Amino acid sequence: MTSLAVRALERSYGGAAAGSGDPFLLGRIDLEVRDGRIAALLGPSGCGKTTLLRLIAGLDAPDRGDILLAGRSVLALPPHRRGVGLVFQELALFPHLDAAANVDFGLRMSRWPEGRRRARVDELLRLFELEGLGRRRVHELSGGERQRVALARAVAPEPSVLLLDEPLGSLDEPLKAQLRPELREMLGRIGTTSLLVSHDLRDAVEIADDLLVMEAGRLLQAGPLSSILSHPGTLRVAEMLGYATLLSGAAIARRDGGLSIAEPGVGEVDLPPALAHGAAGAARAGDRGGMLRLLAHPASLLGVPADSGRGSGVVGEVRRLLPEGPLSRVELALGTPPGPVRSIQVRWEGHGRPPPPGGHLSVAVRPEELRLFGPAGAAIAPPGDAP
Amino acid sequence: MRAGSLRLPGAAWRAGLPAAAVLTPLVAWPLAAVLWRGVAPDGAPSWEAILAVAGDRFYWERLAFTTAQAVASTALALAVGLPGAALFALVRFPGRGLALALVTVPFVLPTLVVAVAFLQFAGPEGWISDLLALASLPRLEPRGTLWAILAAHAFFNLAIVIRLVSGVWANLDPAPEEAARLLGAGPVAVVRHVTLPVLAPAVAAAAALVFLFSFTSFGVVLVLGGPGLDTLEVTIFRLAVRLVELPEAAILSLVQIGATLGTLGLYAWLQRRIAAHRVQRPDRARPLSALSWRARSLAGAQGLLLALFLGAPLAALVWGSLTVDLGGPSLAHFTGLLQETSRVSFIAPADAVRWSLTFAAAATALAVALGVTAATAVARTPGRRGVLLDAALMLPLAVPAVVLGFGYLTTFDRGWYDLRGSAWLVLFAHTLVAYPFVLRATLAVRRSLDPRVREAARLLGAGPLRAWRHVELPLMARGVLAGSVFAFAVSLGEFGATSVLRRREFATLPIAVFDALGRPGGLGRALALCSILMLVTAASALLISRLRYREIGEF
Repeated sequence: MTSLAVRALERSYGGAAAGSGDPFLLGRIDLEVRDGRIAALLGPSGCGKTTLLRLIAGLDAPDRGDILLAGRSVLALPPHRRGVGLVFQELALFPHLDAAANVDFGLRMSRWPEGRRRARVDELLRLFELEGLGRRRVHELSGGERQRVALARAVAPEPSVLLLDEPLGSLDEPLKAQLRPELREMLGRIGTTSLLVSHDLRDAVEIADDLLVMEAGRLLQAGPLSSILSHPGTLRVAEMLGYATLLSGAAIARRDGGLSIAEPGVGEVDLPPALAHGAAGAARAGDRGGMLRLLAHPASLLGVPADSGRGSGVVGEVRRLLPEGPLSRVELALGTPPGPVRSIQVRWEGHGRPPPPGGHLSVAVRPEELRLFGPAGAAIAPPGDAP
Repeated sequence: MRAGSLRLPGAAWRAGLPAAAVLTPLVAWPLAAVLWRGVAPDGAPSWEAILAVAGDRFYWERLAFTTAQAVASTALALAVGLPGAALFALVRFPGRGLALALVTVPFVLPTLVVAVAFLQFAGPEGWISDLLALASLPRLEPRGTLWAILAAHAFFNLAIVIRLVSGVWANLDPAPEEAARLLGAGPVAVVRHVTLPVLAPAVAAAAALVFLFSFTSFGVVLVLGGPGLDTLEVTIFRLAVRLVELPEAAILSLVQIGATLGTLGLYAWLQRRIAAHRVQRPDRARPLSALSWRARSLAGAQGLLLALFLGAPLAALVWGSLTVDLGGPSLAHFTGLLQETSRVSFIAPADAVRWSLTFAAAATALAVALGVTAATAVARTPGRRGVLLDAALMLPLAVPAVVLGFGYLTTFDRGWYDLRGSAWLVLFAHTLVAYPFVLRATLAVRRSLDPRVREAARLLGAGPLRAWRHVELPLMARGVLAGSVFAFAVSLGEFGATSVLRRREFATLPIAVFDALGRPGGLGRALALCSILMLVTAASALLISRLRYREIGEF
């Protein structure tokens, strides 16, 4: 097994040939995927994810920087000598070959002995649940089958690293939902170091071990999936991961010595001691008077009756009800007239039905699930809790 | 096939009615009349003529030779054309559009001009012979040799290979090739195992067309051929000129029509396969600056080779028309065109130009009307029936032009439709020879249209005719234009049918060339006329390139 590392990789729109001064497609990317891990690169379309994969695969050349496989630079190697497998977004199966011949292609090119080739193809068709489909032409396969053929083809010659470019991108939602756990399981069985690119957080959550968040050609944050999901490093990452802004306002000192965040017309929330400590530290460091942002993930936000006393200090007006199985989600408008500031979704946590549109709910959230960001967008983490 | 849900059964066939209404009297009837003469020479069907032909070794040899030379011509055209196609598909070099237009010039040139140009280059008085003579080597005599015919066919058909293959290649999805690279295939292995197999339908379609045009070759073989080197079409012409042997000519026509129809069917089927696999993608050609030094020199050498192969004969032709024997540069041949010589009664060049342009303009207008309705009918007919209809509508391309000419002479011969000796017959013949090109170009564009666009128009309240008029037709316009320029050029160069129907009063430029070639002292005159004809057709080819015909993707 092999680790993949990318060091200070840069690429402009036209590539090195077009000269520098071009806007950056990728600006100084550093990343690492350790042996046997599955990393997901998450980012909106056009952020440079596919470009990064093509550079790693050797299909395009970087302007600067280095790419290391197992610690050795592979920059000088042409794509067919890099030993990198790639599952293309549109799969790029060979239309003139059948499924088995597609899987066999890489083995043929690497001159595996005939007998071993046949055995390997059979093994992969079995592994990817394609038995009996080997003689089918590409256009005779279903979307999910094609996807598995593409995966089998990419892993057949035993690449040291497997790259997947939106591997589920061309499929419809129910099929995606079905294939995510399958893909996770198959990648796990193969055990190859994998880098998967997607714009869909669900792909990353269900398939990957590690998460890399990218935007506009820059890597924003990288680390184990669960730690990034629970502790986004910046406001932007938090927003990309689905966190909602509860309050945006200045920190004010309470009489009891603690800190609160207040936003006129929306509400006021007491910061837990750990966050208050961090916020005070940030204020001392020169951020005094700047706007702080208090976020929480919708999964941890509850809507409780306004008079229950369980609220955190933010009250919203019910906009609409979104039934979710036997429960209800409620869309709340935050902020009093002249106008609502923004809307958030909370899970109804009370007896009976939630109040109808026009009614009011308090937002409840456990203090340890609040995330605070400084005026520059950096997370204000409780000491010792940094991911 | 994606069949529109709004389509009623049979509607597609109704769309084909206007085309059928024109093609039946102008192709089917004359053709049937000629063929009837073969099957029933004395008014009643008999096996006599058929057995006479089938029992004659001479005819079998003609068929074998025609097929063999067509196969060899195709192989040669592919050998020269495929690297050329790669150059145009993969490299974005300065002047690529113009170069592609120039590559097309030989294809739209009248075959007669091709033959003459070839002699100017490689004939006994040609450039190569002059070079050989300087080295005290014997001069070449290509006339009457097979290689002359093959080289001329390859020269003439190169554009088909380059345009058709590079058009598909340039829009080929590069992802499978990249996938192959990552699976360990080197650059050569990628071409061998991925690019060529995926390109195969396009290459096969190009081969089918080259085979077709070489199989039915007339002008080239008439000028460059010799004893034992007659193609079926030339044999038919020779038999038919001696009218007694018209039955034999008819039977040979039947054989030729069968062979060409089969090839056309194959071509139509291949084109559907290309269309089915085709995804419109941005041009994948890379600028010269992005290529390695090795790739750049390879591209340069390839370009030079192409320029030499295509340019030298044409340059020799123009050079010949601008010089007098053993003398320096002179415009004598051109000024000679303007002076009426009393000694030999050449066809007046001004009249020939006038008639050529008149026929070409009128035939193009008719061909567009016919081609567009035919394309609509084919595009709306799904599945195998569509392929059959396509092949049937391409019939005029399969019918030997010479046979068409004789068909006209034997059918339009009495009462109010006695048109023998009338310019109308020439116009009809030109229309029919030209219209398949409009059909092909229009059909290619029509097939790339999203059928839902038309369905959307129907749902927005447009009847079938208005949907066609306001949605389909404007979207097909680019193909129609490109096809009509082709049709214009083809009409300008038509020789086979015109040579049968000609009268001195309405002789066209190619007839004038052939006429001049056959008279003592007429070579210079023929060269000058060829140069004029080439200039007009080259201008047409440039116009086609302005319409970005390559993106349309059929020949």
